[in-house]
Amino acid sequence: MIPTHWFLILSAILFTIGVCGVLTRRNGITIFMCIELMVNAVNLTFVAYARQFHQIHGLLFVFFVMAIAAAEAAVGLAIFISLFHHRHTIDVDEANLMRW
Amino acid sequence: MISFIIFFFFAAVAVIFAAMVVLHRNPVVGALSLVASFFALAVMYVLLEAPFLAALQVIVYAGAIMVLFLFVIMLLNLQHQAEPHTRPVQQFLGYTTSAAFGLALIYYLAKYGVTKLPDGPFVSDARTIGIGMFQAYIFPFEMVSILLLAAIVGALLLSNRSGLAKDEETS
Repeated sequence: MIPTHWFLILSAILFTIGVCGVLTRRNGITIFMCIELMVNAVNLTFVAYARQFHQIHGLLFVFFVMAIAAAEAAVGLAIFISLFHHRHTIDVDEANLMRW
Repeated sequence: MISFIIFFFFAAVAVIFAAMVVLHRNPVVGALSLVASFFALAVMYVLLEAPFLAALQVIVYAGAIMVLFLFVIMLLNLQHQAEPHTRPVQQFLGYTTSAAFGLALIYYLAKYGVTKLPDGPFVSDARTIGIGMFQAYIFPFEMVSILLLAAIVGALLLSNRSGLAKDEETS
């Protein structure tokens, strides 16, 4: 069996790549994909600890995280479509007003 | 022994495709790389004795959410729009901050992470998960269904151009 902390280190690497993308990119949808990457890294941690402690609750939390990620993706992409209709760009530096 | 080889191969696949999401300028290539990374993560779930979650990862993430991303990218026709280059200061600060963050994370995981695995098989088939879901977590489950409904209504309201224009006229 593969030790749990290897999965945790893989999860940390994926989370760091996601943080790096959010901090350095300016394309809104790419930033959004990096957030999905971070969510998946956290899911991997949940599943790794669920096996470590023989608890089913970690797996159930992954379900809820997936459902909330789907809701977040739907609303966030609708916001980007709305922004693109008004500004004709999804560069996040351009979106500096709450209402336009 | 074979599971270690599978782990390292798919860990490398996940990390390389995740890095491609960050480094590639074309968002379509980024979205497809993210799909590949999610498939590698599904293999990780199989190695962690959670095959039901692996199927869910492939169906929900790679199948539904990433198709939504690709659909929006192609709807907005973004692959022809060149992304402006990031400012060097932002790039430098972003890379150094995330590198320091990642090193700190790995350091503390290696220092405080648990290493001893418990004995016995870990039962996590669909039956166990369903019983846990509908006994202990029935209230959050219903809340999530209401949240998804609210997200659908919100997405329709936000992406509807004529409705937004009407709202601006009245206010």
